[in-house]
Amino acid sequence: MVTNITKTVTIYIDDVSYQVPAGANLVDAAKALGNDIPVFCYHPKMSPVGMCRMCLVELGSIEKDRATGEVVLDDKGQPKVRWFPKLQTACTTNVSDGMTVRTNTKQVDQARENVVEFLLTSHPLDCPVCDKGGECPLQNLTMEHGPGKTRMNFADKMHLDKHVPLGDLIFLDEERCIQCARCIRFQDEVAGDDVLAFHERGRSLQIITNSEPGFDSYFSGNTTDICPVGALTTADFRFGARPWELTNVPSICPQCPVGCNTSLSTRLDRDAGGRAIIKRVMPRQNEQVNEIWICDKGRFGHHFSRGADRLQIPMTGNAPASLTRALQVAADKLKAAGSDVAVIAGSSMSNEDLWALKQLANGLGSERLGAWPPTHAGADLVAQVGVGKGTNLSALGKGDAVLIIASDLEEEAPVWRLRINQARKRGAIVVVANARKTQMDEFASETATFEYGEAPKFMADIEASDLGKKLAAANNLIILTGADGLTLVESRALMQSAANFLIKTGHIGKANNGLMSAFPGSNAMGLYYMGFTPEATLDIAQKPPKVLIVAQSDLIADDPSVGEWLTKVETIISLTLFNDALAGLATVALPIQSFAERDGTFVNGERRVQRFYTAQGPIGEATPAWQVAGRIGELLGQGKVKLSAAAVMLDITKSVPAFEGARYKELAHVEPQFPMIQKDVYYGGTAYENTGGLGVQIPTAADQGETLNVGEVFVPETPKVGKGKMLIIPTQVLYNRERTFQSSELMHPRVADPYAEINSADAKRLNINNGDMVEIAIAGASAIRVRAQVDGRAPKGAVILPRHLATNAVPLTATVGSISKVGQAAVVEG
Amino acid sequence: MSIHDEKYAKRIEATFAKYPDKRSAVMPLLYIAQEEYGWVSPEGIEEVAQYCDMDPTQVKSIAGFYTMYSEQPKGKYWLQVCNDLPCALRGADEFHKQLKEYLNVEEGGTTADGMFTVEHVMCLAACDKAPMLQCNFHFVENLDMEKMKAQIEQWRAEAKAEKK
Repeated sequence: MVTNITKTVTIYIDDVSYQVPAGANLVDAAKALGNDIPVFCYHPKMSPVGMCRMCLVELGSIEKDRATGEVVLDDKGQPKVRWFPKLQTACTTNVSDGMTVRTNTKQVDQARENVVEFLLTSHPLDCPVCDKGGECPLQNLTMEHGPGKTRMNFADKMHLDKHVPLGDLIFLDEERCIQCARCIRFQDEVAGDDVLAFHERGRSLQIITNSEPGFDSYFSGNTTDICPVGALTTADFRFGARPWELTNVPSICPQCPVGCNTSLSTRLDRDAGGRAIIKRVMPRQNEQVNEIWICDKGRFGHHFSRGADRLQIPMTGNAPASLTRALQVAADKLKAAGSDVAVIAGSSMSNEDLWALKQLANGLGSERLGAWPPTHAGADLVAQVGVGKGTNLSALGKGDAVLIIASDLEEEAPVWRLRINQARKRGAIVVVANARKTQMDEFASETATFEYGEAPKFMADIEASDLGKKLAAANNLIILTGADGLTLVESRALMQSAANFLIKTGHIGKANNGLMSAFPGSNAMGLYYMGFTPEATLDIAQKPPKVLIVAQSDLIADDPSVGEWLTKVETIISLTLFNDALAGLATVALPIQSFAERDGTFVNGERRVQRFYTAQGPIGEATPAWQVAGRIGELLGQGKVKLSAAAVMLDITKSVPAFEGARYKELAHVEPQFPMIQKDVYYGGTAYENTGGLGVQIPTAADQGETLNVGEVFVPETPKVGKGKMLIIPTQVLYNRERTFQSSELMHPRVADPYAEINSADAKRLNINNGDMVEIAIAGASAIRVRAQVDGRAPKGAVILPRHLATNAVPLTATVGSISKVGQAAVVEG
Repeated sequence: MSIHDEKYAKRIEATFAKYPDKRSAVMPLLYIAQEEYGWVSPEGIEEVAQYCDMDPTQVKSIAGFYTMYSEQPKGKYWLQVCNDLPCALRGADEFHKQLKEYLNVEEGGTTADGMFTVEHVMCLAACDKAPMLQCNFHFVENLDMEKMKAQIEQWRAEAKAEKK
């Protein structure tokens, strides 16, 4: 909720006058003045409902003479206050000039005590075994306002089901629920998936979900944060630890380009041999990035950091080796190769790692730095005309517009989807333009379609269309691109055309305007700033080097065509989290630390450099990738390895202009944020206050008034699909079988069986029925067997093939192939 | 069985025509679902949700809130006997008891043949014609057990004829 601070009104709280923003909610206004009005159902991010009655206050207004409009004075010459005859709910009251509030009277105290007593009549008081105990609003407010004694006969308490799975991830304890409807309102108003509701009434009132699968939302975990009691708990943390045992470490989610601020709650754990491990992932407030929300992938996808498949010890030629020996072998191989060396780095590596790898390659005389996966081009355009400094999606509303093109944002960057949906609810125009029907269509104010291969053309021609005119006329315009169904060349053309349109219509160089892209990984922009490009990756594939350093990139699982050229590389040096297929091929495999075991920085899709901190103990002999690269460099005489990630960053700030002002100290800077999520968990929920830093946003070239160079737009020919062939469109689904997600076993029921969507007309022609096992053949790749999903979402002539669901790799970008039914009669899954 | 059945098409169309947006039609459509299935079944909820462009959870929530939607399977004839004070004074309590005995069902129960469900309800605003009951939302008034038995036989015959 962004209030207009320019206009203020005078209100009196407990006989003291204050200036507060006009129209502000009374609870919020009082909170900002340090007067905590207790609440259960009210939440600053959602509309008030006045259901719990905890925020009752005495409310009055200054009496004015009806005829003259003059303030009426009492005997003492003071303005006369006309009080409401009964207490009023502060949460449903907006401040107005002359409003008079009393929060410290006997009557108010009594009301608070009574409300708590009433709530507790149906509450099991099982705090000793409750996950929420220790950070529970009901517990805290009972201590503060409650009666201390009950008049309720314990034997009369209602006993209800304590273990109702609302889905695979969230459990409901019906006894503990105080029916504040925060979770229901969150799903409806904030998440946009209204899959929770009340059922029955009175004493029988309960939370239900009727979706398939249960509680079908990517944001379900957030309801456990805002639940003011222990009614909703996650399958991940349930009975996992007590909140007061936890050490909370500020971190950044490594799963997608949103860069949600998180807090990793760790504990020294017996089951992990006494090491500190992550017990849960919680959102950490950053109003510019993720507010106080995170998606379920971020919340439950942390298990990979201590998965059984982590590489624990260095390997040389598939045999365990000491780190010193492995580094020496790597250095020797690199020395022998001279400058015939290249690096491919993954899009979720930290800037420090990337910088150290770049130094290593440069020191050997190589400039071949490839970004993985090579699916999205155009990061340079985001650096030029990306969203202006100070952009906040929460500021978008009436008169503003967002164009989402070639992206299934729900699957690629869920929290952006959540925030853009809210912008739409505030009145912004949200246009979703795709070649297929996606989940995003539901969150669009209008949709547009084009054929696969036509996205760049659609964007280039948009100016003349009615849609283009509407977008151009918006006060603020953000274009958010993806790479759904695009080749790398097409994705560059799309970004260029989008950039041109933004420049032409003046939507650059200012906050809430510009280009964003749903890049893969959490640090694709960092890759760009450090000089790694997807084009270089293709060049490496074309002309394989003698020695290839592959860092945190699952080449074999991501791309079926790597086999063709990888065999031509003499030596592979793998810096890897996992003991994967590539580690097996590598001459040297060096275990590196995940985001959870070390500190570092990511640059998110809005170019915000954000810092994460060391949370859990090291795994085996893994070291940070920057250290691995630095030590190899040291062996090659490139100078001493840096002592800390902070020191590496200091180097970066001195050498990369974009990072000027992004030293660790500056990244750790915090400012007060609204709403004030602090220790009183009842107001904002258990999302963490930001103590680790809000990060620093890199200005765009447009922000700084530099000359822009979009480059000549090369719109490639639409690929010719031969007779009997289909377009194979690899897509991103949020829940998949990537190594960085596979270790989260609780998510397995939510990961779809491998499938491909095809149009019903094509299905009829090819004699394929819904649920049939089909084989997809693509030149240069092994056949992919999946179940056919015949629906109205896939356009004619295209096979929508999600990546990372099947065992066999799916091509990185759009290609041509064929689909056929597998011989024997297939069983339709129920 | 489905509310997509042709026999409901006109009614559904007329219902939607009455309201500015689709979700407003949810309650009338739930009645149609109840008529079709004899209760608000999961299938019925799914179908209404599709029609009204709502999440099935919201439809179920509405069905749960209002007592005239039954979320339990009911007999073909859903007999709701009023035994509030005025009716009780005219012997409704006794009538209710005898009716249950005659049909051999518990309160809220359904006969083994799936024909009759008997339950008591609050005031139906026909105190002057007590004992009375409501059968599938239609009043049957000025009852005694003799009349009731005849009525039950008539319903049984009707159901039999319908089957043929």
